[in-house]
Amino acid sequence: MSFELNRRLVARRPALATSTTIDAVTASIVNGAFETICFEVATHLGRAASSAIINQSNERNASLIDANGRLAAVSVGIPQLLFVSPLAVRWGLENFVEDDWGPGDVFVGNDPDYGGGHLPDYTVYAPLFDEHGELVLIQALQAHQGDTGGKDPGGFSIDSRDIFGEGLGIPVLKLVHRGKPRRDAIDLLIRNNRFPSFAGDIAAMISAVQAGVRSLQVLLTRYGVETVKAAVNYNIDQTNARFRQAVAQWPDGEYPAHVWIDQDTAGNPDVHVQVTCRISGDQLTVDMTGSDSRPELVNVWNTFANTRGYAIAQLASMVDPDINKNEGLFYAVEMIIPEGSILQPAPNKPAALGSFHPAVEVGEAICIALSPILPQRSAPQVYKLGMPSAVIGFNEAGEMWMDQGVDVRASDASATQGLDGWGAMCAGLGNLILATAEDAESRFPVLNLSREMTTDTGGAGRWRGQPGTRNIKQVLEPVSAMTWMVSRKHPLRGLNGGDDAPPYCNIFLLGTDEEFEVENAVNAQLPAGAITSYQYGGGAGFEDPLLRDPTAVQEDVLDEYVSIAAARERYGVVLTGSLDDWNVAIDVDKTAQLRGARLAARAAGGAR
Amino acid sequence: MNYRIGIDIGGTFTDFALLKGQELILHKNLSTPQDRSLGVIHGLEHLAKAEGKTLAHLLSDVDAIIHGTTVADNTLIEMNGACTGLLTTAGFRDELELRRGYKEDIWDVRLPPPTPIIPRRRRLGVPERIRFDGSVHTPLDEAAARKAIQRLAKQGVESVAIATLFSFVNPAHELRLAELVAEEIPGAYISLSHQVLPKSPEFERISTTAVNGYVGPRVTAYINRLCERLQDAGYRHQLLLMQSNGGVMTREYLAGSPIRVLASGPAGGVIGSAAIGAAKGASDLLCVDMGGTSYDVSVIRGGAAPAQSGWNWHHRYLVATPMVQVETLGAGGGSICSAASGRLQVGPASAGAAPGPICYGLGGTLPTVTDAILVLGLLSDDAGFAGGSFRLDRTGVDAALQAHVAGPLNCSVEEAAFDCWRVVNANMTQAVRRLTAEKGCNPEDLTLLAYGGNGPVFAAIQAQDLGIRRVLVPRTSPGFSATGALAAQPCIDEERSYIVCGTQADITRLRQFWEELDSRAEHFLLAAGFSRADIHCRYQLNLRYPGQNWSLTADAAAQSGARDLSFADETLIATMMNRFHQLHFDEYGHDRKGEPPEITGVRLVASTEIPMPHFTGGLTAERRTATPAKQRRANLGQGFCATDIYRGADLVPGHHVPGPAIIEEKFTTIVVYPGWNALPG
Repeated sequence: MSFELNRRLVARRPALATSTTIDAVTASIVNGAFETICFEVATHLGRAASSAIINQSNERNASLIDANGRLAAVSVGIPQLLFVSPLAVRWGLENFVEDDWGPGDVFVGNDPDYGGGHLPDYTVYAPLFDEHGELVLIQALQAHQGDTGGKDPGGFSIDSRDIFGEGLGIPVLKLVHRGKPRRDAIDLLIRNNRFPSFAGDIAAMISAVQAGVRSLQVLLTRYGVETVKAAVNYNIDQTNARFRQAVAQWPDGEYPAHVWIDQDTAGNPDVHVQVTCRISGDQLTVDMTGSDSRPELVNVWNTFANTRGYAIAQLASMVDPDINKNEGLFYAVEMIIPEGSILQPAPNKPAALGSFHPAVEVGEAICIALSPILPQRSAPQVYKLGMPSAVIGFNEAGEMWMDQGVDVRASDASATQGLDGWGAMCAGLGNLILATAEDAESRFPVLNLSREMTTDTGGAGRWRGQPGTRNIKQVLEPVSAMTWMVSRKHPLRGLNGGDDAPPYCNIFLLGTDEEFEVENAVNAQLPAGAITSYQYGGGAGFEDPLLRDPTAVQEDVLDEYVSIAAARERYGVVLTGSLDDWNVAIDVDKTAQLRGARLAARAAGGAR
Repeated sequence: MNYRIGIDIGGTFTDFALLKGQELILHKNLSTPQDRSLGVIHGLEHLAKAEGKTLAHLLSDVDAIIHGTTVADNTLIEMNGACTGLLTTAGFRDELELRRGYKEDIWDVRLPPPTPIIPRRRRLGVPERIRFDGSVHTPLDEAAARKAIQRLAKQGVESVAIATLFSFVNPAHELRLAELVAEEIPGAYISLSHQVLPKSPEFERISTTAVNGYVGPRVTAYINRLCERLQDAGYRHQLLLMQSNGGVMTREYLAGSPIRVLASGPAGGVIGSAAIGAAKGASDLLCVDMGGTSYDVSVIRGGAAPAQSGWNWHHRYLVATPMVQVETLGAGGGSICSAASGRLQVGPASAGAAPGPICYGLGGTLPTVTDAILVLGLLSDDAGFAGGSFRLDRTGVDAALQAHVAGPLNCSVEEAAFDCWRVVNANMTQAVRRLTAEKGCNPEDLTLLAYGGNGPVFAAIQAQDLGIRRVLVPRTSPGFSATGALAAQPCIDEERSYIVCGTQADITRLRQFWEELDSRAEHFLLAAGFSRADIHCRYQLNLRYPGQNWSLTADAAAQSGARDLSFADETLIATMMNRFHQLHFDEYGHDRKGEPPEITGVRLVASTEIPMPHFTGGLTAERRTATPAKQRRANLGQGFCATDIYRGADLVPGHHVPGPAIIEEKFTTIVVYPGWNALPG
């Protein structure tokens, strides 16, 4: 539990020892089998788990790690989190002998100071041994738990000053020994969780990795241990090489970017993430030196493993999507993450909320830094919402219920060159399946009143961001509601001359005398009938809005993504007619005049 | 002599299967894309002639025509459906666009959005709200509704999808909106979500209703035209249409939700497979259909291909009606092979039917799977392939493989072809494993049934890859969907949402749901000419543990004949909860007996039986080694060597063809890999 441990955990691991060589086709076949097994494991968990965050929102990620602790393959899931498991598993591997690893074992870890993500993200993993008893692979599965037994229900706490307030930290714990579940250990976890359904989640996680190990065993038998090892080595090298080939095409140079978070949960303002991407030949260095390290900051401490994961996830979105996702990405990218900063905190810092911010700002800053040279693949893979508004109440039996607020919404779906933002979120969150009103209302005393996109809430640009939704929800019983707001002062940044996304805005007690906008973090008691209104920020724009095809602007007006007023104001497109009369048309001459005048004013030094 | 006719219309060919007593007569002619019903009539005329009858005479002797149509699929492929509008609850107009956040590729920031079938300008919210218990929270604002409908009218909307929240509990607002639409846009095609898919949650229902609105007018017009033509030609019964749930139903039933014919083509093949499997004593099957552009996989367990409703994406839209689960993979014979950066890729790009593989000689220039297996000698470029009408041509194949695969991989053309073959196998194996993973079953326990033009080329090697020991290839392999349609039974499969903790479930309510579902099914099946005595009902519940998102379906009762709900007594719920615990243990390896599961839906599967072909024949104990017609140099996975080639027509039951060998049938080739034996049945 120290920076020294972090350095040890990330130290470059060697290839698996094997003298077998392998051809490209066999290696890719083995890789396909790996990915499929990970998919099977994740699917198993999704079907059997009890918590909505896992079984509905798909916040579960399966990965394969080799005997040296290297990431061998991943499945679908949430990209940022797919890259997190290796460090937690490496801590387990450090204790291989003391913890008496053997076939049929299953472990769990969640401790950010021992290679983990934040506490709610449990990494459950199971080793696979060959016939000689040698460790070959480890099936890992990471999933977000609905509670972690901390002082506040739900795994998040807006005012915890250390990790102990957030819940139970587990560096490593054996859950199954040689195939036999350890009742004592599993009971400890169940006891430290407020949700009765957690027992089902942990059972499902264990049975899922066990199923993965069985499938891997079959694979070993079919291809032979040495071939499988050679495939792991080959695929990692291949990814490293392909990523480097991409970097070699990028112009050498230093590309800096700064991103700010409005404030921490205690109100300390302008939390700063700084990234400098350095390109020299085929070597990319992501240097985070300069990022905030004020010791008084509360709750904006990202875990070390998550900082690495978020950086790699953004970079993976900026190269050919076809490159296999594995340890080769970590080989190819050098990361400098200052010790003691919010991106690699000192031990015992609270970590739950840090996995939202500054975690996503790491990716955002990398995207901003590289956007001038990679315009076609610069879409920030982020969620800028602070945290979802979680609503917590108790039923007649005294059991806690929680509407996690991961509702259907549009937020942060940004444009990139040649492509408007679309859908609900960035591509990377395309497997986070959002919760529905009909399901929520059948379970919880809430009413979803509205969640449409709001006109003019996408960043304007030659390619525009998708507007954000305004989610209005009424609670029908007294509840406590917890949230944290960012992106009001520092919204998602427009790229290459595009407009920023409009700010987020979250109003509690809408329409009453007590109505207020949440300016920072709040844990409020709401009476029955209270209404909250959450305007999500839309996506950011890309390149100058004055360059957008006027016909596209007209189409946007017809679809009410953009108003007639904003068409003129932000795009310099003059439209006549009205939506009511359904006769909106472009005034070509006036549009040319207005755009010409704007460009001239800008050239003369005027603001756009 | 009375007949039954199965008809399947594909992109290129329309396939016919005429059942005459126990005899099955196949026919194939070109499809007529402008008006597909014409191709049907042409084919029927051909069949009549072969029977020595006039078309009218033949049709008057036909008991049933069973038809699988791809009109809905084609509408979504070509994106030329109706100008459609959506009316929904105010505040929810964007569900279709937000897709619950789903994107098909989490790594590709350049993935474009789907083509909008209903752009935002034609998705309008109407003030109204019904709660989960059916109570009205906000009454329908009729003035606002009329205004919204008028706005749709101004845009030339011809089809209106109406989908409001909790309409499946209380449809009053949807019904009233339908009246208003009929007043404001006379003749508009109207889809009501509580009829198309009466269940939660809203995205799934709205999307399904929207797609129904988009394809409905074309599908309905086509079916009506076909019915008219058949009637005019002398057919006297109801046309039975294949549904994606694997059952067939009448035009009258499908009128409310024609979306149920989407993806029904592959479903026909799966149902036919189940029938063949049953005849051959194999009730657990892996069905693979490899045609020109795609490779479809599905699983049959216990003789049944259960349809699942829910997360079914087709052409980038979610259609949540029950569908036989068919996974489509871009690896048909036309899939293009290319290598870059040390990686060999097969598909999803496809040369399709036109220009097709290079060896078809129709202008294709990129190497495809078919070209690769020609190089391997698995296919023949001799005259006489495909029954003499079509000959493969190797000209240009080697050069293209050299340029696109062998060169980049630094290997020979034959090695490149072999690598393509390996990658196809691996892709198929992965697809199968994903499908079986979702179903929780082990491929080793299945029998592989292969059809489609290319399915039998890969079947045995793929079986070997998956640990499967037995492969079935139907003689009707290339035009199997038409035969499959003959095996499909009339079936109505519906569900009503009812979310309640098991311990609090109201048995009276359950009975009401089943009664309603049963009355509906009875109405349509009686109208289709069946008697109550022939109706078989499976009453089911969907259950899950508290918090779970995925339900498992458990049978409450199965019975034939007069309705008898006496099984639904006070003890039923406890019985069902126990069944669910067991089902969950079987599926996921653990249960949570301490927790009472919740009920999420009430289901009824009502079906009847109609005569189907007897897929008999079967294996005989006697084995005689058949004589190969010739030998050819081919690589069946163990390097090139002289390989025995058999003519399918020469083989009869009792013959025994040891691998390595190749059997050439009309329109298809069966590869008998080393270690395998082929037994004609």
